[in-house]
Amino acid sequence: MRVLLIEDDGEAAAYLVKGLTESGHVVDHAESGEDGLQMALAVRYDALVVDRMLPGRDGLSVIGMLRAGGDRTPALVLSALGEVDDRVAGLRAGGDDYVVKPYAFRELLARLEALVRRGRPEPARSRLEVADLVLDLETHAVTRAGRRIQLQPREYHLLEYLMRHHDHVVTRTMLLEQVWDYHFDPQTNVVDVHVSRLRAKIDKDFDRPLLHTVRGAGYKLSARP
Amino acid sequence: MPVRDLPRLLRTSAVRLALRYAVLYAVLAGAGLFAAQWFTARYVDAQLSAGLREDFQILVDRYDSAGTGALASLLAARAASAPDGGRYYLLVDKDGRKVAGNLREWPPVEDDTIPLDGQVHAVWLDDVAIPPEAGVEDDAYWPVIATRLPDGSRLVAARSVREADQLQLYGQTAAWSSLAVIVVLALAMGLFMGRTILKRIDAITATAGEIMAGDLSRRMPVRADGDEFDALSERLNRMLERIAQLMAGMREVTDNVAHDLRSPLTRLRNRLEVTLLHRRDEAEYRRAMEEAIRDADGLMGTFNAILQSSQAASGTVRAEMAPVDLSALVTRLGELYGPTAEDRDLGLTVDAPDGVTVTGNRDLLAQAVGNLLDNAIKYTPTGGRIRLAVERGPDGTSLAVADTGPGIPAADRGRVTERFVRLGAARGTEGNGLGLALVDAIARQHGARLALDDNHPGLVARITFPAA
Repeated sequence: MRVLLIEDDGEAAAYLVKGLTESGHVVDHAESGEDGLQMALAVRYDALVVDRMLPGRDGLSVIGMLRAGGDRTPALVLSALGEVDDRVAGLRAGGDDYVVKPYAFRELLARLEALVRRGRPEPARSRLEVADLVLDLETHAVTRAGRRIQLQPREYHLLEYLMRHHDHVVTRTMLLEQVWDYHFDPQTNVVDVHVSRLRAKIDKDFDRPLLHTVRGAGYKLSARP
Repeated sequence: MPVRDLPRLLRTSAVRLALRYAVLYAVLAGAGLFAAQWFTARYVDAQLSAGLREDFQILVDRYDSAGTGALASLLAARAASAPDGGRYYLLVDKDGRKVAGNLREWPPVEDDTIPLDGQVHAVWLDDVAIPPEAGVEDDAYWPVIATRLPDGSRLVAARSVREADQLQLYGQTAAWSSLAVIVVLALAMGLFMGRTILKRIDAITATAGEIMAGDLSRRMPVRADGDEFDALSERLNRMLERIAQLMAGMREVTDNVAHDLRSPLTRLRNRLEVTLLHRRDEAEYRRAMEEAIRDADGLMGTFNAILQSSQAASGTVRAEMAPVDLSALVTRLGELYGPTAEDRDLGLTVDAPDGVTVTGNRDLLAQAVGNLLDNAIKYTPTGGRIRLAVERGPDGTSLAVADTGPGIPAADRGRVTERFVRLGAARGTEGNGLGLALVDAIARQHGARLALDDNHPGLVARITFPAA
């Protein structure tokens, strides 16, 4: 996908460009809000990564201008400020997701990719499938290789989210936000326990594991190891 | 008091007030004194006139009963007995020749006649009429009484006003000196009061100067009398106490941040350095990098926790407040933490009546309860129980997390909400020591209170929202 990065810190931008490029994306970089706005208006991007604090026009104002013009390109806001209300302000201004510095690159990448997937129109489906794992969205029945798997309601939501984002890394924070709707930082990895329970139910009795742990990042549901 | 202080003293409100009162006192006292003096003078005049009339009547009676000769000898006797008694008489015959008396001649007056009506009049007497031995130099209005006797001779009597004048002079002197004393006393009192106040303010100013110069251990002087200055000093001292506490806290935080970040930073740096010492295969490099990332993640976690608790504690960030369904919150958190507790063989029960809401920030409250649950799970030994509950009591609504762990000794309960404080047993376990401090900060941000109590056995932590 093609990403516009609007970030005034040259070194941070260089790492982001490198990371995103090596992850298979095309990245354009603007160093100021004005340049970024011009580029976003001129080229059709799949996603924007916008630093909140920029010289001249700030990041939220860039997004606000684009939204006012009817541009709905998914935008991820980077901010050094932190705290709950920055996130609220960022989302209110039209940002689609919010990452606080310092952040892990894998977290940013996973969120950015999820953002773009979310923006793509999805064919209406009644079931999700990954290899021989099938989740019926209407009956909430889950089967693997035809065998019925009993899941708790929260495990079902967890699996649904992982299956919708199959073959992509989802981070613990994303799971906490999307499955439990919480934006906070648990000191212990409570999410891991839920994932390992889910894994026990869908992978334990089968030869090929589907739910993989990606070290330093999160989890990935995939038929490929 | 040095003289150079005088201008400053004159500017003080106490002295200004004292001056104003001194003027007011002076005017009031002056008016009173002069009124008294005026009435005294009137009284003395009346007495004088009455005496004169009585005396005159005796003379007229003597004439009526014994004739001119007897009157003349009486007048002579009077003049002889008291040469300067302040009483003056003159008897002239019908041709105006002096018959007897101690006035030299019939008093010439401005309008040329003294009414011969036997009534007392205030008459301007000229020096000519007054005998030199009277010693009266200043002309004055004298009380004079005169009449024409049946044989055509005229009799006049006058009284010297010297005594009355003297009395009036005494009165005036007394009034003026009283006034002077009053003004001086009022001013002195004002200056004294001003100086007393200035001295106490100077003490406070001096102490403030010393504190500004860097000695934060200095305190405002407090005397025992508990007046306004003591109240001010005590308030200032409490403020200084709080500032000192905050500064000590800040210093401790800085020290602890340095300590908590130094070790993992050193570890991270050494790991990378050692990895680069020799050529290694890719798997080794990868492992080293992954470990470095894990170290960095830990650092970031600590860093964010410090930032978050600082922001919550200082109240610099106004969180978005909205009604939060506490029942739903704890139910969902119980579900989130349930498996983790179960893995440690701990029974986690959620106890929440439906539909209890407070005004707050859902994510911050979740963070607070999450931290309490983290602690409970971390410190409760296997087989224990944890209870997560929403309670409604007389004090308000509470979020409670109770466990059957070792608890916290009463003496330490206040301390554990301070940042980075980790009690002996906890030192070994993972965690950054910010958990309870953050809970405390979030509670304060919500106008709520974090209380730690004995759960008999174990610990119960309650965040109580005051009843609206």
